[in-house]
Amino acid sequence: MPREATSPGQAAPRRSAMVHIIGQNVGVILAAIVLLVSIAAFCGMFLLQQDRLPGNFEVTSTVNNTMPLALAAIGQTVVVLTRGIDLSVGGVIDLTNALAAIWLTGSTLHMLGVSLLIVLIGAAAGLLNGLVVGLGRLQPIVVTLATLSIFQGLAIRVLPQPGGEVPPSYTDFLVSTNGPTALLFLLAAAIGWMVLRRSRLGVNIFAIGNDEQSAIALGVNAMRTKILAYMLGGALYAIAGLFLAANATAGDATTGDGYTLTSIVAVVLGGVNLFGGRGSAVGAICGAFITTMIVNILFFAHINPLYQSFYEGLFLVIAVVLGALIGRLVRGSR
Amino acid sequence: MKALSLSADALRIVAAYGAAVLLFVIGAWVHPGFGSFNSITSILLIASFVGLVAAGQCFVVLIGGIDLSVPWVVNAAAILLVTSSLGQDARAPYAIAVTLGMGALAGLANAIGIVWFGVPAVVMTLAMNGIIEGLALGLSGGMTCAACASYAPPVIAAAVHDVWLGIPAALWLWLVVIAVVSFVLSLTRFGRATYAIGNNGRAAYLAGVNVNRTTILLYALSGMFSALAGILLVGFGGQASLGMGAPYLFQSIAAVVIGGVSILGGRGNYLGAAAGAVSLTTLVSVLLALNMPDYGRSIIYGVVILALLLLYGREQRE
Repeated sequence: MPREATSPGQAAPRRSAMVHIIGQNVGVILAAIVLLVSIAAFCGMFLLQQDRLPGNFEVTSTVNNTMPLALAAIGQTVVVLTRGIDLSVGGVIDLTNALAAIWLTGSTLHMLGVSLLIVLIGAAAGLLNGLVVGLGRLQPIVVTLATLSIFQGLAIRVLPQPGGEVPPSYTDFLVSTNGPTALLFLLAAAIGWMVLRRSRLGVNIFAIGNDEQSAIALGVNAMRTKILAYMLGGALYAIAGLFLAANATAGDATTGDGYTLTSIVAVVLGGVNLFGGRGSAVGAICGAFITTMIVNILFFAHINPLYQSFYEGLFLVIAVVLGALIGRLVRGSR
Repeated sequence: MKALSLSADALRIVAAYGAAVLLFVIGAWVHPGFGSFNSITSILLIASFVGLVAAGQCFVVLIGGIDLSVPWVVNAAAILLVTSSLGQDARAPYAIAVTLGMGALAGLANAIGIVWFGVPAVVMTLAMNGIIEGLALGLSGGMTCAACASYAPPVIAAAVHDVWLGIPAALWLWLVVIAVVSFVLSLTRFGRATYAIGNNGRAAYLAGVNVNRTTILLYALSGMFSALAGILLVGFGGQASLGMGAPYLFQSIAAVVIGGVSILGGRGNYLGAAAGAVSLTTLVSVLLALNMPDYGRSIIYGVVILALLLLYGREQRE
């Protein structure tokens, strides 16, 4: 994957390990910096207007509200790394969110079983995407646009009106209001990512994202890798749907729609290359939190909420342009 | 080989028109009166809105791009038309010029981001959709402004509804657009450049095509066609409302795909996309005539497009 990793025989000037690491992870590093700056800006505004720093309540609610987006963004990252894109995110979250609101009842064991089943349904949705993209060799953008429509329809069939109920114990477990314990799930996701990244599947995903033909020539089964990537994405969207239901303590078959766009925004802000092959879950998580922080900052800056999407769109363009410029500077001119 | 691929393209267009005719036949079978002249023209009228947006979408898809800013360009155009015309005929020309200008400007901004700053088309047009949404909502105060409740000028309403030679005026307009766009794409230097860029941007550049200028023009045209659809929608419905542009993103892309335009660019033409718009709208009308609930329509939409993709897809791979 690392294109700069020249073999000793080549006469290319060797760069120091530090420059190499920064060059390879410039997207994630930039995302982390932007996140820190936006958190600092938010804390500053909060301090000025409330005469105190954000406390446990603010931190917890920010984390809990960002969980679904963070998970959806990780799923989107897996797909984008294969040089794909998944527009069906919103539909899968709609569907799993609706199912969660109807099925989650009873004993802990029952809820655990139902949760697993819902994650499997998400993976099955991803399987459909992956099969059509992989076997049919079709463009992901139109395939997932079509399946988005299918999943949205199924979601409304499952839960025609917003409603259902999520037991308080389930909500407490996933998104406790006592503290930002949900961060532990993100930590687990990040560790899972480290493992995936070093596994055969992870290496294959990065390989086909960088150069599909070369990867196939080297013996990577591109079709199976793509199908697995979409399935992993689907499972992650399903978990996002569970978190969304737990946070709202009820279900709504349209509340997930927005996540198609915001997951792409988070992925881009997180330094994941939309043309595949570069990016990480950590970046995606940073991107998701940046997206939430922008909304918080706009709120404290007393910006008319009607203008919110204007600033979000503007920020997205500026971030992408700046990211590309800085990336080009760090990696050296080419 | 070339002749073979050309005939395959032509076959797809014929298939798309065939699908529309078949759907009309099915509609007439399940619902008497569906096949009447009035019913057909009213379905075609609704298809013309999709078709106009699809013209712009077709332009950018032909060079391997995509325009996701459609929903709010359509919506903002509708709002801008009523607020700048205030329902007065005297102000209609000015309002139309301002609205089309807004659409072109949005497309131009998209193109500048894509061409000069290297932003991927998906991200740029997605962000532009948000930017215009924010501006439209903010400037109109969430559609609470006094002028927002204005009706479309009678001239524009008449230009949509009035019947000339048995056919609504907006349909004539669409026919003219179909003729002009087809002419431009197949018989002009600009059209040749469009296909060249879609097939291989680098080769087109080396062959002397001004890639940047062509790309900018195509995105500006896409924005303008979305704005035109917005104007006609207001003329059709009378007033602007929030969310009226939302269906047109999915439908314009679907129409382009059904019409046999390769989403990778370089292949297909607007005649096909227009057929796609007609068959898509007819499909919706048939499902409505069958009293199909919302969710069923949504599922069938998706399944039909998947099926068509799989049917066409084998040739699109290289």
